[in-house]
Amino acid sequence: MASSEEPMKSFTKAMFAGGLEQDIVFPYPKMDPDEEENLSMILGSIREFFKDKVDSAEIDRTGEIPAEVLDGLNELGVMGMSIPEEFGGYGFSSTAYNRVFEEVAARDASLGVTVGGHQSIGLKALLLHGTEEQKKRFLPKLASGEWLAGFALTEPGAGSDAAGIQTKAIQDGPDGQYTLNGSKIWITNGGLANFFTVFAKTPVGEDGKENITAFIVTRDMPGFASGREEEKLGIHGSSTTELTFDNVKVPQDYVIGPLGKGFKVAMEVLNSGRLGLAAGCAGGVKRLAAMSAEYAQNRKQFNTAIADFEMIQHKISDMVVDAFVAESMVYLTTGLIDRGDVDYSIESAMCKVFASEAVWRAANEGMQIAGGLGYSKEYPYEQTLRDARINLIFEGTNEVLRAFIALAGMQEHGEYLKKVGKALQSPLSAMGLLTDFAIHRIKGRVATQRLEGISEVLRAELGKFEEYAKDLHLVTERVLGKYRKDIINQEFLLHRIADMAIDLFGMVSVISRVDSLIKEKGQEKVQREIAITKIFCEEAWRRVRRNSRQIDNNIDDLRKEVALGTYEAKGFAVDFVA
Amino acid sequence: MKIIVCMKQVPVKDSLLKIKDDNSWVHEDELNYEINESDHYALETALRLKEAHGGEVVILTMGPERVKEAIKQGLAKGADRALYINNADFTSIDPMTNAKVLAAAISPETPDLVLAGLQTDDNGSGQTGVILAENLGLPHTSIVMEIEKLDNGIKVKRELESGWFQWIELPLPALLTIQSGINQIRYATIKGIMMAKKKEVKELALSDLGLSGADVAAGSTGLDFQKVYVPEKTKQALILEGDPKDVAEQLADKLKNEAKVF
Repeated sequence: MASSEEPMKSFTKAMFAGGLEQDIVFPYPKMDPDEEENLSMILGSIREFFKDKVDSAEIDRTGEIPAEVLDGLNELGVMGMSIPEEFGGYGFSSTAYNRVFEEVAARDASLGVTVGGHQSIGLKALLLHGTEEQKKRFLPKLASGEWLAGFALTEPGAGSDAAGIQTKAIQDGPDGQYTLNGSKIWITNGGLANFFTVFAKTPVGEDGKENITAFIVTRDMPGFASGREEEKLGIHGSSTTELTFDNVKVPQDYVIGPLGKGFKVAMEVLNSGRLGLAAGCAGGVKRLAAMSAEYAQNRKQFNTAIADFEMIQHKISDMVVDAFVAESMVYLTTGLIDRGDVDYSIESAMCKVFASEAVWRAANEGMQIAGGLGYSKEYPYEQTLRDARINLIFEGTNEVLRAFIALAGMQEHGEYLKKVGKALQSPLSAMGLLTDFAIHRIKGRVATQRLEGISEVLRAELGKFEEYAKDLHLVTERVLGKYRKDIINQEFLLHRIADMAIDLFGMVSVISRVDSLIKEKGQEKVQREIAITKIFCEEAWRRVRRNSRQIDNNIDDLRKEVALGTYEAKGFAVDFVA
Repeated sequence: MKIIVCMKQVPVKDSLLKIKDDNSWVHEDELNYEINESDHYALETALRLKEAHGGEVVILTMGPERVKEAIKQGLAKGADRALYINNADFTSIDPMTNAKVLAAAISPETPDLVLAGLQTDDNGSGQTGVILAENLGLPHTSIVMEIEKLDNGIKVKRELESGWFQWIELPLPALLTIQSGINQIRYATIKGIMMAKKKEVKELALSDLGLSGADVAAGSTGLDFQKVYVPEKTKQALILEGDPKDVAEQLADKLKNEAKVF
């Protein structure tokens, strides 16, 4: 793979291509001890603050976050965690930022979404690509919370498909000033923020071809307006509005990043932003597990606490396993961000999909354990269920992310295979590549890559991981060979391939974390963590095997037929009584 | 105003206490610790005085290594520096001994004001603060709820019983023990937490305090700590007999003078 610009290593891309990059995921990343100590005090402050000042049910009921609560969070410093100290923030690592964010989001989803809209995505483009001058002007206000930020990408015709953006910026004013026209919808912090990262189409270069560019828009600009608050299923306290731009004049130096590279900027922001969301979901699962365990121990039926029933124990155990796995995936990935030299885009998408679905399962089972009472507004379960649902939708729906995981995972290997295909047409000039390919083939088919030095007690789990990591690679080769470019339309398969990758990444995340724990504390002290690893890995490899087998042996055609038939019939065409 | 705040770490409220087999104390290693409640309010009071009148807030803490965490919390909330005495080797931990050691640490600092929590949530004797004042030769008052700075001293509001209060004027330096719940305790901010690391924590050994092992040895204060045990339940029933009027009088007398319910 000769390329002028060497791409960053990615654990998952390598796994798709048949390699296991052990040094990326082992040992499990460890925080700087000083930062860890600070972090645990900060978490203590956040917990106290929430206990004293935040009434989540009240926020849900009124649809508003009291000013006192936002002021309190500002004072604590929560709004500036990820901003460097030189710009008035605290320069947290990604791990520390996401751990605090987890605590906030798990305690109140509306607050989580507000803080995340501000910091995980709203000001992220400025942080990543802003000029020194832009940072100096805006970051101090954003760090103190005096200003909130919002991320404005979605439009009526452009959700996951960012290319459909209609908002336009034409450079037609004095001093290279832009005129911005268009509208955005579903913008978090739309009614609260003063600073927005807005993505708009703008003509770029000689030929005037339109491309997406990121702009800073502030609330005080004439022609900017935010609409009324959306009425939503959950996260009632968060602000979600439309934004409109009516001939908004944007100075030339308010462009973030290179002209015409806005799509790349947006994806970069979302790649890291998704992790916050995943961390919040992991925290939500932890909270639900604790709440449900306590409820089950207090609730008596048939003269015994329902906690004694095995059907309840199964649910509690599932929640704890989900929480631990989600947490392990998230903080492995934030560790990848913090080391700075690896591509974490697929991992972050996998964290988002796994954690958002885990919190939805937990909210569902938590309500089930609480029974009728869980359905009542008197208890927090129904709010938690409503609040949890959005996570499967925003910052990339789980469907779009699954397609991304599978396609981005296979892409690198696809490029390689394409080159091999070309080389076969002129074999003499490309002997090296073909030899490499032949060796690769043999390795891929015969040998399973092994990871070294992992605790013996996790040997069986590690073995399954290695075996099925190889299986993912073989599946990749097979489907790429069969469908080539058309693979992007094979969504039944992409779904399975993504799920295989997610389960495998979950396995390697827990194995890595627990392996490090065993080495640090000794096996006896981490028996429960070992049990969790065994439970998850046992279920995960069986899912991976099922998904793998169904790549070639499935009933997808029948599914397609039923769906298409329903579209055609414009309704439910198989009614009991028509 | 230079203010020293005495803070202690105590087991988290509602901890499950297990008594050691030899009844000498409770098993400490299974417990989680937190800052004593009224000490939190003493610190908050000190920080507010400093904000209003300037000066310095110094935390003074004694205990095993773990209490450094309490020090960090105090520094994160805004105290300027801390004094720490490791008492892991002390075999006597009664209020007399504690006050003796604390006094030796405070004296050279010559503070304007010493604040302590009213009492600790673990032993609850309420004695350390006032004995400390005696040792330091300072005027003191207890159960303080409010402090006003005067030109030549302070005026404090102290809690009496049945909803009554008393205002007293004291010259400085003085020692006050602070009641819980008198103000809104601040949260340690991220900024404060990150700055805490840069603040001075001075560790004082017995020799720095001009004391020796004999001063902190069991029995050195004349107090003898004999046994820790769960209160023994004793049930007693008394049947009053006689004519109703006589019985009613006896009952009223017992309720008033023995049970003291009115």
